[in-house]
Amino acid sequence: MKLYFKYMHLHLKSALQYKKSFILSIISQLFVFFTYYFTIIALFNKFSNIKGFTLYEVLLTFAIIQIGYIVNESFGRGLDKFDDLIIAGEFDRILVKPRNILLQVFGYKIEIVKMTKLIQGIIILIIALVNLDISWNTMKVLTLILMIISSILIFFGIFLLAASYCFITVQGLEVRNLFTDGGKHMAQYPIGIFNKSFIFIFTFIIPYAFVNYYPLLYLLGKSNNYLYGFSPLLILIFLIPCFLAFNLGRKHYTSCGS
Amino acid sequence: MSQYLTYFKIKFISGLQYRSAALAGLSTQFFFGLVFIMVYHAFYTSGSGKLPMEYSALVSYLWLGQAFYALTYLYHREKDVINMIKNGDVAYELCKPGNLYLKWFFKIFGSKLSSVLLRFAPVILVAIILPINFRLTSPVSLYSFIGFILTLILGSFLITAITTLLHILTFYTIDAEGVLNFFRVIAELFAGAIVPIPFLPKFLQTISNYLPFQYISDVPFRIYVGNISSNMILNTLLIQFIWFIIISIIGIFLTKKALKKVIVQGG
Repeated sequence: MKLYFKYMHLHLKSALQYKKSFILSIISQLFVFFTYYFTIIALFNKFSNIKGFTLYEVLLTFAIIQIGYIVNESFGRGLDKFDDLIIAGEFDRILVKPRNILLQVFGYKIEIVKMTKLIQGIIILIIALVNLDISWNTMKVLTLILMIISSILIFFGIFLLAASYCFITVQGLEVRNLFTDGGKHMAQYPIGIFNKSFIFIFTFIIPYAFVNYYPLLYLLGKSNNYLYGFSPLLILIFLIPCFLAFNLGRKHYTSCGS
Repeated sequence: MSQYLTYFKIKFISGLQYRSAALAGLSTQFFFGLVFIMVYHAFYTSGSGKLPMEYSALVSYLWLGQAFYALTYLYHREKDVINMIKNGDVAYELCKPGNLYLKWFFKIFGSKLSSVLLRFAPVILVAIILPINFRLTSPVSLYSFIGFILTLILGSFLITAITTLLHILTFYTIDAEGVLNFFRVIAELFAGAIVPIPFLPKFLQTISNYLPFQYISDVPFRIYVGNISSNMILNTLLIQFIWFIIISIIGIFLTKKALKKVIVQGG
């Protein structure tokens, strides 16, 4: 962990070397993120609800998914850009160092600028929570925390899968954007609003439903089944094949020699 | 003129080689198309007050948006042009005859056109045979179809001029990201690429009327689905043409100004 903070310190220092560009990119990040939730707000301006979910309920889902995605994107850009690491031969350097490989990959690049999105995400989460009428109890607080953690973990798992794929193909595949960007885009609405086949895929193959749908139903009091509240824990099962895939890929890794 | 057409042809032909990239792009387009439509479908079936667009018209609008995504995409970066500016190779380019602005304009036009030609037909072919709730329907009339084609063609000139202008601004910013991305986000919003213009709040719709961006794709698509009546076509074409001229003049002017005091970053 100490090592990771060391990485973070170094990245912050290097980002601050270009002050003007740093500030400008923060502003542009603010705007890019704004357009994400602007869509939701603009649509709720015309419609009152989406399959029974109101604006703040959707914003809550949105914030939880975005926070999970951004944490991975900013704190672990190395995993996101894993194909660059392999193409440039940087991964070989990581392999020879006596530290945890995944930690090194994770800390390879840390995007300080993207953290402004994280702050925005947290603000939206708070706005949504303040405006929602949730009858809080210990279990519900726990559910909310589990949702946020599982959101971080599911994207970690997906990034890990995508990275393992890079071991085979060397080049990152555009298709993986479907599962990262596309998945993020879809999961910012409660999965229940989609078609049955989509719900099936995103419950049993990539389990977004356990991050943002079943626990949400419990949290909002739409369901009293407290098992729903614990359902984010199922993400841990999803992580197993992700780790296995990464380890398998690493074992069969042959450097591309650059 | 033939010189510039050659630049266009080179980019066009080399763009056609990237078929697997197009295939990957297509899968993304289908996925996003379906997700967007499902979201709107869920909204529409939840019942609401008066809506600015019929559901079937909106579905067609969304599919057209996916089909012509490569054309209307504001984040297009012509790598060789940007690198040329960044690493100073533009100095060599200046030794060659011909107008720099026009060369770049045709290069960008060529690569945009090739990528859209590889992508639009498959999206449309699949979208017209989908189940009724997801289907791209035929245009409301022959006039609106002709109007759609004409405005889309002029719109593609307009987006090329805007993209070229953004590339030229790299002369001034050196960094191709930061500031220019900021501009792109705003443009995207007013182009209807985030939410169709009729779904925007009223004051934003008013602002967008005074900006060129909605004429790239939003207006042509709305002509297709009949959201804009076909007697507005001539009017639209005229406005598109005027915007195209204005942006091109700004682009040519800024190129001249930049070249007068060109600082070649190293050799």
